[in-house]
Amino acid sequence: MKKITRRRFLCLGAAAFCCSAVPAQAFWPFDKRGEGPSGSADVTGIVFKGDGPKTLPKWHHEAAAYTKMFDRKVVCGICPHKCVLAPGDRSLCRSRVNLDGVLYSLSYGNPCSINVDPIEKKPLFHFRPRTTAFSIAAAGCNFRCLNCQNWEISQAKPHEVRTTELLPEEVVAAAKRAKADSIAYTYSEPITFYEYTLATSRAAKAAGLYNVLVSAGYINEEPLMELCRFIDAANINLKSFSDEIYRKLNGGRLEPVLNTFKTLHAQKVHFEMTNLVVPGYTDNPEMVKRMCAWIMENLGPDHPLHFLRFFPKYKLDRLPPTPVSTLTQFRELAMQAGIHYVYVGNVPSHDGVHTYCHNCRKMLIQRQGYLIPEFNLEGNQCKFCHATIPGVWISTGAGAVS
Amino acid sequence: MKKIDEHAVIRVVIATGISSVVTQLLVIREYLAQFKGNEFVIALILFSWLLLGGLGTMAANLLAARGFKAAPRRLGGLSIVLAAITAPELILIRGARDLVFIHGSSVGFYPTFFFIFITLAPYGLLVGFLLPYSLFVLRTTRGDYPAGNIYIMDNLGDILGGGLFTFLLVYLLTPLQAAAMAATALVIAALPLYRGAGRAAFWAWAGTLGAAMLSFFCVIHEHGSLAPPEGELIYYQESRYGRIAVHKDQEQVTLFSDGMPLFSNQNLVTAEEVIHYPLVQLDHPRNLLLISSEGGMMAELAKYHPHTIDLIELDPEIAKVLFQFNLVETIPGLRVIHQDGRAYLRDTEKQYDAIIINLPEPETFQLNRFYTEEFFRIAKRRLVPGGILSFAMEGYDNYLSEFQRRKLSALFHTVKTQFREVLLLPGQQIFFLCRDGAVRSDIPDFLAEKSIPTEYISRYFSGNLTPGRIAELNGLIEAQIPKNQDASPSLMQLMFSQWFAQYGSSPAAFFAVLSIVLLFYLRRLHAEEFVLFSSGFMSMGFEVLVIFAFQIYFGFIYHRIGLIVTVFLAGLLPGAWLGIRFQNHGRRLLVFTDSVLIIMAGLYIVLITSGWEHLPEALFLFLGFTVSLTCGCQFPVVLHLRGGDNPAAARSFSADLVGAACGTLITSVVMIPYAGIVWAAWGLIGLKSLSLVLGFKR
Repeated sequence: MKKITRRRFLCLGAAAFCCSAVPAQAFWPFDKRGEGPSGSADVTGIVFKGDGPKTLPKWHHEAAAYTKMFDRKVVCGICPHKCVLAPGDRSLCRSRVNLDGVLYSLSYGNPCSINVDPIEKKPLFHFRPRTTAFSIAAAGCNFRCLNCQNWEISQAKPHEVRTTELLPEEVVAAAKRAKADSIAYTYSEPITFYEYTLATSRAAKAAGLYNVLVSAGYINEEPLMELCRFIDAANINLKSFSDEIYRKLNGGRLEPVLNTFKTLHAQKVHFEMTNLVVPGYTDNPEMVKRMCAWIMENLGPDHPLHFLRFFPKYKLDRLPPTPVSTLTQFRELAMQAGIHYVYVGNVPSHDGVHTYCHNCRKMLIQRQGYLIPEFNLEGNQCKFCHATIPGVWISTGAGAVS
Repeated sequence: MKKIDEHAVIRVVIATGISSVVTQLLVIREYLAQFKGNEFVIALILFSWLLLGGLGTMAANLLAARGFKAAPRRLGGLSIVLAAITAPELILIRGARDLVFIHGSSVGFYPTFFFIFITLAPYGLLVGFLLPYSLFVLRTTRGDYPAGNIYIMDNLGDILGGGLFTFLLVYLLTPLQAAAMAATALVIAALPLYRGAGRAAFWAWAGTLGAAMLSFFCVIHEHGSLAPPEGELIYYQESRYGRIAVHKDQEQVTLFSDGMPLFSNQNLVTAEEVIHYPLVQLDHPRNLLLISSEGGMMAELAKYHPHTIDLIELDPEIAKVLFQFNLVETIPGLRVIHQDGRAYLRDTEKQYDAIIINLPEPETFQLNRFYTEEFFRIAKRRLVPGGILSFAMEGYDNYLSEFQRRKLSALFHTVKTQFREVLLLPGQQIFFLCRDGAVRSDIPDFLAEKSIPTEYISRYFSGNLTPGRIAELNGLIEAQIPKNQDASPSLMQLMFSQWFAQYGSSPAAFFAVLSIVLLFYLRRLHAEEFVLFSSGFMSMGFEVLVIFAFQIYFGFIYHRIGLIVTVFLAGLLPGAWLGIRFQNHGRRLLVFTDSVLIIMAGLYIVLITSGWEHLPEALFLFLGFTVSLTCGCQFPVVLHLRGGDNPAAARSFSADLVGAACGTLITSVVMIPYAGIVWAAWGLIGLKSLSLVLGFKR
């Protein structure tokens, strides 16, 4: 064999390295641009292969909206992840399993968190103020938000958390006992306990209670349309207006969430939007302008928008909180874009917590935390200029000071 | 054969020791600024460092066995390469973090470990390679050159490097300047190896120039490498305790300590909760003690018109920054004390109406000292009758996880040993209000009765802290949870479990792989090498135990920790000298030294369990020195017994380093949290007894 000199070896090595670098960049795992369909920065979860229980636990219900395939595989149709589950697999959201070709939800009648909250806490500022919502959550979530406030339940499997047995009719009875005005499906992600949400909201509606959905809005149109029949109000978290950030911080995509807004709007469900302003990610004014333009074009000016202050939490704990002036600036930008009702959240005593009439600019609702010392609506109209204020208002006695 | 300048090689060994210890301390600080600063991460850094060193040593042995010739110029070249990568190593750690992980996010155990191991590999492997390689170089002309000498010189370099950094560099230079300085020392030592080398000398100088340029480039980009993508860096200081950075984003000023946001000037909620929950319970709070403070708290404190407020900040740099950026306002009666909070409470005679602890969770042994039964006993003594103690843990929104539940239960039972009433208030933080008198939970009403205005509590408390939520939290306290004690820090175990749960991982796979590899490795060790393995294990494990005891009894004082590390390093040097002096006693000496180590660990147990509160510092230093001296003594003896040839020397260096790696990891993250320090010491005795038994069998 012909001997190779050291210099020649080094030259050839360098040439080989450079040549291989060109195609290798396609496989470079640290894609910071996030332009492609996915990347290493994508935090989207995966199906838990073979993780389902051998037998069905006590709390289960056959899943809605799924398709049976060959080899007893199923495709979940609730959310855009469309998990394909072989027998024994557990869905990405942790709460659905394929048992012998049938898809079951394991979050049915077993909430892990039950509280009675002021409706303003959801936040819903234009939906029956000063009432309370009987709030329930079950384990699981179809997102992987790095800053999740409720990661203890959203990133857990149903059997991993303490639960209370509360079937839909019992939820309604408990809500009535608590003198709640509505039932809120909240905290974790009600789309993952869709069947429970649907059954409970149906029972609640029949019993004269309102239904409130607090969600990230990552749901397919068909199940959402079914839910819209019973939901009276929703707060949907528009986590950012960037698909890249959705993938990087939340493990989802932007487009399906936008579709949810369009559907809710078309179905005339009252909804409000929240947008958490995360420093370094969603604090870009240009992005906020684009977001507001889209809202104006597709949803109109009447759906309230809440900009929430970020605090370091869960895995996203190496960032500072959002400066208050950023929130103030975004509120102004959104109002300049034409959105009528824009609020600032997680900042006590900010001027952006009050409701001002979009027509005459006078204060309609003064909020001090969850207290409302001033209420200037008559029915659904401004007491001063009689402009119609979007929302669902209590027709009588609403002006009473708490 | 051309004679080798032995002195030049020895100077390289000493310079490598200096440079490697300075770099080790720098990378530890750098990793702690990039990752969670808990004991697991600290142990992972040291484990990776020592393991990579051991692998580098093995590589030297393997290459030597395959005919890779040792030569002074190659040693010089490798030393220059080591110097060239010192400063870039820090930039790599700093820069690669955001490249690999999502900016602003924390990562769990495995990503942390892999990141540390991979980024440390170039430096760790090379520095481990150089030590035996230096010996091989010396033996090219003097075949019987004693390996013990190299061991001694390396230790000398380590001591010099440790002392230089701890007592000088940390105060005078930034990390990259210090790294560049350490590299300079190495290059200066390496260049004489090229004396009269003709063309090779040219390449050496070219390499030196390259190293200098790289270091210079790194140093001038130091500030830029710390700048955050959001906001601007308006203050940066490396204090003795860690990295302090202040970021400004519009009007908001946030203080970061080791990469984590600590305080901000816009955190009204925390300020109100921390101050009003405890103080509203008292009729006339006059004398208050605050262990750490943040933005807005002084304004809330002032509403009670106290006579004196003693604020304890251990790190003077943090205190300076707090006042400089108005994160803490100066109010009448305020006195800032720069002392360890626990040590202060133990020594002061002053009585307080309230002691408010505003510290992070007990993620480290250092912080755990503020949440033990012994600490609460000390604090109780400094409270007037009816006085209140408060502290907080991380809160939850709507569900208390099992790990948190166990953690809160352990704390509840620990603090309940000292106070009749303990009330937990939920929220973004869970507050413990501890008192011998009544504790009320209707805070807004109480504040209204006293006409104390608040912005957050008066408006949001009733919606966030409903009676149902308060009752649910207090009802979730478990009965059968062990208390958290100094010598048995059960809370650390729960904190580690919580950390793993948060990232959905478990260390089981890591320890399973480690155990298998270790068993395989130990099976290949000779009995004498096992002595070195166990001594390396004992030396590092005992150092962790002494630091731990020191923190319990004397507080976390940077100089003292530096002193312990220096004492441990210093013991190795005379130990190695004694080992060479008496190496002819061979196995008997190994048996004797193993016995001494067992006795020292036993003495440690006696001291810890004696219940004496005022143990002299010198006693622990004596123990540390004796253990390291004894361990150091064994190295030349084993080399002598193993014949002292090149492979034996390399294997001995490896055994020592691998043992030290395991000792650090297993003692600090397995034995102490899960069994307590007394059983950890018993574990070391068990290991050394095994070594002793093997010694008798030999």
